[in-house]
Amino acid sequence: MELTMLHLYPDCMSLYGEYANIAVLRRHLEVLGVSVTVETALFEDTPDFERADFLYMGAGTERTQKAALTALLPHREGLKAAIDRGAVLLFTGNAMELLGASVTDGAGKVWPGLGFADFTTQELDRRAPEDVIAHTALWDEGVVGFMNKCSVTRGVETSLFDRLSLGFGNEKEGGPEGYVSGNVLATHITGPVLVKNPAFTDFLVRRLFEVKGWETPEMLPVLPYEREAYEVTLRELTARIGKKQES
Amino acid sequence: MRLILAIIVCKLLRFVGGLVGKGSSLPGQFALKVCPDVLGRVRLPAHIIAVTGSNGKTSTVEMIAAILAADGRRVVYNKEGSNQIEGVATLILSNCSLGGRVKGDVLLLESDERYARHTFRYFHPTHFVITNLYRDQLTRNGHPEWVYDAIRPAIFPETTLVLNADDPLVSCFARDHEPDKVKWFGLEQCDLSTKEHHGVYHDGARCPVCKGRMEYSCYHYAHIGHYTCPSCGHRRHETEFAVTNLDLGEGTLTINGETRISLAFKSIYNVYNILAAWSACALVGVAPSVMAGVINNYMLKNGRMLTFTLGAHRGTLLTSKHENSVAYDTNLAYIAAMDRPCTVLVIVDSISRKYFTGETSWLWDIDFDRLDAPHIGKVMLYGKYCNDLAVRFKYSRVPADRIEVGESIATAAESLRESGEEDVYVVTCFSDRDKLLALTQKD
Ligand SMILES: [Zn+2]
Repeated sequence: MELTMLHLYPDCMSLYGEYANIAVLRRHLEVLGVSVTVETALFEDTPDFERADFLYMGAGTERTQKAALTALLPHREGLKAAIDRGAVLLFTGNAMELLGASVTDGAGKVWPGLGFADFTTQELDRRAPEDVIAHTALWDEGVVGFMNKCSVTRGVETSLFDRLSLGFGNEKEGGPEGYVSGNVLATHITGPVLVKNPAFTDFLVRRLFEVKGWETPEMLPVLPYEREAYEVTLRELTARIGKKQES
Repeated sequence: MRLILAIIVCKLLRFVGGLVGKGSSLPGQFALKVCPDVLGRVRLPAHIIAVTGSNGKTSTVEMIAAILAADGRRVVYNKEGSNQIEGVATLILSNCSLGGRVKGDVLLLESDERYARHTFRYFHPTHFVITNLYRDQLTRNGHPEWVYDAIRPAIFPETTLVLNADDPLVSCFARDHEPDKVKWFGLEQCDLSTKEHHGVYHDGARCPVCKGRMEYSCYHYAHIGHYTCPSCGHRRHETEFAVTNLDLGEGTLTINGETRISLAFKSIYNVYNILAAWSACALVGVAPSVMAGVINNYMLKNGRMLTFTLGAHRGTLLTSKHENSVAYDTNLAYIAAMDRPCTVLVIVDSISRKYFTGETSWLWDIDFDRLDAPHIGKVMLYGKYCNDLAVRFKYSRVPADRIEVGESIATAAESLRESGEEDVYVVTCFSDRDKLLALTQKD
């Protein structure tokens, strides 16, 4: 069983330890006997989308995000082909915004996006650093994480998370968050979201097994400390619900 | 009239506050209500030095104050560390005559990088020292470019910028500033410089101006070093103030090939703090001999390193802010450079004092591989977030059989007290520090 991951722009679209998402997903697959190759593409490269089963991009600064968009746009068709044949894609943090129709920056300049979805993003002059507990219909457990965004994204029709019990969604507090369409997943939750959420990782492992046509094992491996770390964070964040306004 | 009233209000509240031991920002806050532009109306000293940046602000300001005092200048400075506009107003007005004249030769301000533009709305520094910009409490600060954008409106044409030439982002402040009004400090290539970048992430990988690939001829630490962008030409400037020779092992450095200094604290940070302080003081006319005299006898009192006894162990507590991977890496490098057998205890119990967040991304920015060294025996991971630490360590080079994981800090202290006599290094943040210290005998 062989699988190829393509990590886009890891040298700079990696503001909050996002490389860990690749590392953790890779290890979960390897425990199941999958031989994983991780390829990377920098701005100057032509990404090799043809071999990619999993594509990932993390968050960058606002200026780096525009540079990433500029670098990726000429390769849009290759990326589109990979998505059409069912490759699994995960964009986190402000990489999510690139999938939409446009990003309008603080100076009012409109940057056309990849246009895989109709949503649009407007950058703001303030940041909202917030803890998040998010709920999706795709798996049972709540997702814990952190967001540090300075934008609102409007017009997402199919969100990854229906509701947040803590945190700011695409355009409002508690509102829907992220984007999902087939195997394309995106969330503004930053950093090592897969590390913190074993259920999210398991979901991706299952999707990848399906895409590859492999038989999915009934029980997925539980790696040491991951569940315990998740439980502690969930407990701590749950205790914060409602208290945030007071603080 | 409002000016005098504001000064009186501030002095009165300051006096009352002194009696009840209350904070230093309140008097200024009231004074600003009485007279919003009061800071533009007072007569300030001829020299106004401001210091900002991610790390080293407080140490640099203290060093500058000590040097200026040794040179016989009267210095007004915010030693209480209240570096937002209210605190600055308190400082200035309580040192003001009723006629509105600040009694001092130099006004020296540690400025919060996020609020500098508010503080400097009504008066502008004559010298603005910017030490460095890197990942620091991302939960609060966003990211270094965000902080850069926040500082920019606080920079005015008449201000002389005193910049760290070795930081590619800090160097950008000079881009639309009169070149004569920019003074640079930096470290020449030396024994500790490396050809390769070290660390888990590389914020200097891309040029901050054009996002092209940056080239470095050497790195001092993190993204601090000698860089050139082949795409747009953004590059390290020649420096007016340079450490031309540095021996951290011995603890000496040479400034501008002339003045030799002994380091009270052998850290690369201290080198840059000294350079920043040196540059600022030289620019307001202090002689090298005076500066050298003060720095040579300078005792660092920031409490980042404390020693203690626990059972038969000699312990050293290395404190840094959580969420500041550069400071963390420096502490790990310090431990790795030792040679006696030791145990390392890493504590992550509360993450952010301010937000009480469960955010642990920053753990993945720390270069824990440094703890894979022959003299480091056990690595103990403790505190509420010990599981997050344990997961992180699974992706480090530290062998699993050296790692011990537990939640209770008391248990960690107990097990150390009961067995072993090797040196112990404790790595943690300011807010978790006392949870362990309370269980030890302090030196
Ligand atoms: Zn450039």
